[in-house]
Amino acid sequence: MSKRIVVDPITRIEGHLRIEAEIENGVIKDAFSSGTMVRGIEKIVRERDPRDVWAFVGRVCGVCTSTHSLCSVRAVENALEIVIPPNAEMVRNIMANVLFMHDHVVHFYHLHAFDWVDVVSALKADPSAASAAASKLSDWPKSSTGYFKGIQDRVKKFVESGQLGIFANGYWGHPAYKLSPEQNLIAVAHYLEALEWQKEIVKVHAVFGGKNPHPNYVVGGMPCSINLDEANAINAERLAFVKEKLLEAKTFINQVYVPDILMIANVYKNDWSKIGGGIRNYLAYGDFPMGSYGETETYKMPRGIILDRDLSKVHPVDANSPEEIKEYIYHSWYTYSKGNSEGLHPYEGETELNYTGPKPPYDYLDVNDKYSWIKTPRWKEQPMEVGPLARMLVAYAAGKQPQKDLIDSVLNELELSADALFSTLGRTAARALESKLNADWALECFERLMDNLQGDSRMFDPEKWKDEQWANKSHGVGLTEAPRGALAHFIVIDNKRVKNYQMVVPTTWNASPRDEKGILSAYESSLIGTPVHDPNIPLEILRTIHSFDPCLACAVHLYDPNGKYVHAVDTF
Amino acid sequence: METLILGVGNLLLEDEGVGIHVIRALEKEPLPPNVHLMDGGTGGFHLISWLEKYDRIIMIDATLDDNAPGTIRVISPQYASDFPPLMSAHEIGLKDMIEVMQLSSGKLPDILLIVISVLNISNVGMNLSPSVEAAIPEVIQMLKTLV
Repeated sequence: MSKRIVVDPITRIEGHLRIEAEIENGVIKDAFSSGTMVRGIEKIVRERDPRDVWAFVGRVCGVCTSTHSLCSVRAVENALEIVIPPNAEMVRNIMANVLFMHDHVVHFYHLHAFDWVDVVSALKADPSAASAAASKLSDWPKSSTGYFKGIQDRVKKFVESGQLGIFANGYWGHPAYKLSPEQNLIAVAHYLEALEWQKEIVKVHAVFGGKNPHPNYVVGGMPCSINLDEANAINAERLAFVKEKLLEAKTFINQVYVPDILMIANVYKNDWSKIGGGIRNYLAYGDFPMGSYGETETYKMPRGIILDRDLSKVHPVDANSPEEIKEYIYHSWYTYSKGNSEGLHPYEGETELNYTGPKPPYDYLDVNDKYSWIKTPRWKEQPMEVGPLARMLVAYAAGKQPQKDLIDSVLNELELSADALFSTLGRTAARALESKLNADWALECFERLMDNLQGDSRMFDPEKWKDEQWANKSHGVGLTEAPRGALAHFIVIDNKRVKNYQMVVPTTWNASPRDEKGILSAYESSLIGTPVHDPNIPLEILRTIHSFDPCLACAVHLYDPNGKYVHAVDTF
Repeated sequence: METLILGVGNLLLEDEGVGIHVIRALEKEPLPPNVHLMDGGTGGFHLISWLEKYDRIIMIDATLDDNAPGTIRVISPQYASDFPPLMSAHEIGLKDMIEVMQLSSGKLPDILLIVISVLNISNVGMNLSPSVEAAIPEVIQMLKTLV
């Protein structure tokens, strides 16, 4: 007999994600991922000026807000055949690298770490032993006995006040927590430091984007003027500020985030480098052009596809091809004019909502029928995982440096083979290693910008701004890597207005329902075979789902409408 | 005393964006120089660096509770758990922020929360429902008295 457990946030709207898992003899036998995304964006942008779309799509999600704006201006530039000036490309790269660092650090410490770190255990730590252990991990200066004692006292006081708050969602005391009390205390201290740090790094977005959240973009370049000597422009003082923030970020990532991941990996590697791998195909559009956006060979993160975990070959991907990327709705609450089985390329995409699920509140979804708001994207009918692991694997298979050496050195340090990458731990570690590269790339792009400004101050190309010069009909695709994976925006422009707009977002690839043939997508597949110690407290499910950085990682925690922790368990 | 009036919400989900609509309406009103406006959007964690600059923060947000749409409530939250049921995930960062400010420095700005009960939040669209729209002038009057 199997038990079905449900992990569902109930009240959440954005990024609402629900997992139903069937457990037999303590092991997950099947899993169903269901979610709502903000789809139907085309309803808002249809008939608008294509140059305005970035401002709307930037509001789709609060987590990767600037990514959608970037992807949108790229789609419009692609349609109108605009090549932006090198300075603008570098500013976009700096902003995107900053977003990656911010998102990866915040995701790990604030949405994923407590799957591995037991706060309650940290209260039992010996601060002097924690200090000794921290000094061995890295040169990070905040590591004295007094410092850890202070953190411990504050957390203790906080917990004793009965306001568990940020710490309320953990399964404290679960036997799957394996860190020592001292390691737990180190991680809790860094959780708090990461919160302080993240406030600083986002200021870079305000410098270049004019504001944050939701920084400004513009079709044809970037809406910021740099003039080293001008008080009202981005001047030498502002640029020095940016550089300072980028250097601080690099220090934090190298001395805190990456060492913490290695500490956690060392403790959990025997189990979690073998669990959670899921599907065997990986897709990356690549990003961070050092030349122009169209010159994919200059990308820091290469583009490509890996099939069946074969790291000896990288396959090309063409988002424009009507035969490659298609979205299916067999298990999704939509109707297509061509029927239930047909896949549609996003240029032909349709968003006709058709909810046929149970009336809430309900116990279970009817997983034999439609059961999700997420469509099922496929590349040549195959499921793809996207995200930091996919990007690192594509780079690794392509022999791209510095990715290849970095991965090899970490595998070596952890005494693991490349197979260990295909796992929950591999995903979580890939994210940390990637952020280390983002720190370097942000600084490299900054220096490139400084050099280029010597003879070229252009930040915007006005040539195609005026719509009289546009073709009557055009279409384009914008590709970016968002922190959580490959992102594509597709635009069809007709008579200077948006005729169709479709976004294929990373969480669609990862969290989508199975297809008509019963082939699972990434989340569902990754849970199969995972042992669950206690179905009432399914920590193991959270570890793997969080390792993907779901659109909202917190969304798989369980709350009732009053914010109380609940769970649903039943015999199936 | 510097005061920030912060509207949060998702502008694309109809009533969910009412906090932003209030900020946009306030931009047309005369306000004292120590009062600042911010469209926080769905900023979450991105907002934290701005908030510690102010002595007092008045947050405006939508809530989906049992009250009639357009109902306005003023809450002065002591703890993050005093926040009303979440509308969407944009408050996660704010809740965390408030607790962490409590935890790390013990210093918190005065926080006042104005919540407006709403109706439509699951549809994509940029218009407010009439009863929610009608509440905006009252919220603005209330804010003017508060600052």
